[in-house]
Amino acid sequence: MTDSEPNTKPPLDGVRVVDFTWIVAGPTCTRLLGDLGAEVIRVENEQTLDSIRFGRPHPNGFDPPDSGAMFNWLDRNKRSITVNARHPDGLDLIKRLIRVSDVVVENYSSRILENWGLSFEEQRAENPQIIYVSLSGFGHSGPQRDYSTWGPTAQALSGLTAMSGLPEAPEPAGWGYSYLDHMAGFTAAAAITAALKHRRETGQGQWIDLSQVETGMALTGSATLDFTVNGRRYRETGNPPGNRSVWPQAAPHNTYPTAGDDNWIMITCTSDAEWEAFCEVSDHPHWRTDRRFATLPARLRHEDELDEQIGSWTAGQDGRALMQRLQAADVPAGVVQNGVDLVVSDPQMKAREWTVTRDHPVIGEHLTDGLQIHFSRTPAHRDRPGPPLGEANQYVFGELLGLSDERIAELQMNGAMG
Amino acid sequence: MGALDGLSVLDCSDPRGHFAGKLLAGLGADAIKVEPPGGDIGRSYGPFLDDQPGPERSLYWWHYAAGKRSLALDLHSADGIELFLQLAGDADVVLETSQPGRGRPFDPLALSDYCPELVVLSLTPFGQTGPWRDHAWSDAVGLALGGPMGSCGYDNIPGTPPIRPTEHHAAHISGYFAATAACTALYERQESGLGQHIDIAMHECMGFTIESSAPWALYEQHPLIRQAGRHAGPQPTEPWQYPTADGRLINIFGMPRSEASWLALVAFIQEHGMGQNLSELELLDGRKRQLGLQQPSVAVMLQDIAEFIAAHEAEEIYAGAQAAGAAWSIIRTPDECLADEHWHARGFFVDVEHEERDLTVTFPGAPYILSETPWTHGRRAPLLGEHTREILCGQLGLSDEELGALIAAGVAQ
Repeated sequence: MTDSEPNTKPPLDGVRVVDFTWIVAGPTCTRLLGDLGAEVIRVENEQTLDSIRFGRPHPNGFDPPDSGAMFNWLDRNKRSITVNARHPDGLDLIKRLIRVSDVVVENYSSRILENWGLSFEEQRAENPQIIYVSLSGFGHSGPQRDYSTWGPTAQALSGLTAMSGLPEAPEPAGWGYSYLDHMAGFTAAAAITAALKHRRETGQGQWIDLSQVETGMALTGSATLDFTVNGRRYRETGNPPGNRSVWPQAAPHNTYPTAGDDNWIMITCTSDAEWEAFCEVSDHPHWRTDRRFATLPARLRHEDELDEQIGSWTAGQDGRALMQRLQAADVPAGVVQNGVDLVVSDPQMKAREWTVTRDHPVIGEHLTDGLQIHFSRTPAHRDRPGPPLGEANQYVFGELLGLSDERIAELQMNGAMG
Repeated sequence: MGALDGLSVLDCSDPRGHFAGKLLAGLGADAIKVEPPGGDIGRSYGPFLDDQPGPERSLYWWHYAAGKRSLALDLHSADGIELFLQLAGDADVVLETSQPGRGRPFDPLALSDYCPELVVLSLTPFGQTGPWRDHAWSDAVGLALGGPMGSCGYDNIPGTPPIRPTEHHAAHISGYFAATAACTALYERQESGLGQHIDIAMHECMGFTIESSAPWALYEQHPLIRQAGRHAGPQPTEPWQYPTADGRLINIFGMPRSEASWLALVAFIQEHGMGQNLSELELLDGRKRQLGLQQPSVAVMLQDIAEFIAAHEAEEIYAGAQAAGAAWSIIRTPDECLADEHWHARGFFVDVEHEERDLTVTFPGAPYILSETPWTHGRRAPLLGEHTREILCGQLGLSDEELGALIAAGVAQ
């Protein structure tokens, strides 16, 4: 929870990232790097702005590109410069920036940087120690390298969409957001920090070729092995299983309705001890001795009846109060929370100061959300808002690259910066 | 070599941290899975080889413990914890997942003080502080409380609950934060020479993994509507999943943005004698094709597209749409992914020998391709206590008699 204090350096202090990312996957990665203290410089182009800059909501009625809540949420702790990579002078600026940087991250389709003249080999010619991350749907090799994805497309291809839903429904529920955009971003951050550690030791940079679909398939181990080892296809046994647990076997393990409109509690008994504790708390202690429910195999055989009875008991009860009663008896139970619950009413998040108020030059005071990694000695930070477009042009071109004011004005005029 | 070659990780995690440990092992660390005599609880998680349970038959374990060594040691015994502390003195990272008030075998903050060069990584449901820090937890409860599940479910089946995507995704999400944290602390240690304690609350990791729910909540306190197979949103949007002639489903979210790509997609559909309404002039305007706004032009477009998809087979639609530049996809199951040559060409699936069973098993492989320090799958998951002797006798110098006594006392296995 501790935000950075004066005189403490965050752990990635001194690492400079050239950030060509947009939408969600790449920016998720560079947000994490920025939180950890890297100097992240977003390379933007006024002709093809990141659509997230235009995403709703727009607080206080301000107009894009600098006011978007989604952008400010996802792109905090970053700087912004405007460059046209297709202009020879613009490309030159980018190459000069790469020379004084440590990491390049992009999540374009697989041939874009190559077409600009910024393949890994070309980047390495500028900076032999560069760490380059290409984050794409299908990776930069293989017969389908020119196919493209969005988060939902990647989830569908990886198997993850099919593994979420009710067994009797005509379609999976899948994921209600771009899970693999986040996960590919997290994967990239893990790979980059590992590569930084390796480079500090050996001086060697490298290329990290990340396929979003592969990051998803890497999360389907049990189901994949059930096929490669046991020959069982996923749908053969009535999958997806809704909110029940197939592996590990557990019952009850489901969502149950509580008082109010569309409120639910997840209750999971993963051991007999938890089941017995649950029966004690419930107003139905006889469930424990009921032959249909006395043992795990029996509960699994009678899971429909079990869920129906529990659902009748929870319906009408206050979900949070019920959660507290069950938790007091050490039964794993939690209400289904949405984003607003996390921000407004979650006592744990409150206690850990998950949201804090920060200032922004356009939209003013706003809430930003938490850090996930709390270091005891080198705390991460969340002090800088999402950057207004081009706010760091002077800093990067003037201070970092040492261009004169005249040259900067010239590059603005000739279309290289913009 | 791997990026973490030569580094030693003591992985004392329960299933909350099994994926985190796997990631560090894949990056080249020597990950020692410290499990209780009798076996880690993950060994009781199915599916199982030939559906027969047993500590060496868990396919969950085969996946998540691959590349690790096994040290079976009771950390709740005095002898066990003493040996563990000796190992920790030489280790680089300790990964632990115990909640502060639930009888943990050691205090991670004290361990961090005791070994200043060590990175002590605590990956716990709610972190080291706060009113819920000792709450009972499961992966599903984590996804419910943390926000991801609240965005998943059906808009078109009344009365249905939010849906938890299966597999151990609370552990997957926080596993990446743990791996990033460990690598970051190790990187920082190269300069300072010092380790530190790291507190990761899985609950907070979930809270960053809810995409637009977060800004809508932070700025407008506006909840989103969950919708089948597509993004939850502030308002209802059009369906994206459409059934094919061969009983599968196509996701059409990636509609072409450029005019060239749109015209190529229309040509592909019209070559099959369908989609006559797609030639409507207003659909040339990318904004009139934009999903999510409930526009009349999109309703007409989707009707033609749905009819085309219903009349054709999934693989043909997928290949044709992608060739036109539309990021459509087939909704595949994990077994169906293995049939796609692209992933084999990239070397994603890995064959691993299980020599004592005379079995070669195909696993999902690297989540990233590092050009100089390749991720490695490592050898098959360790048998229970397979490396107890080489670690306690080889590394710590115990005699065979001392090890025998520990085993007899149930401290080691």
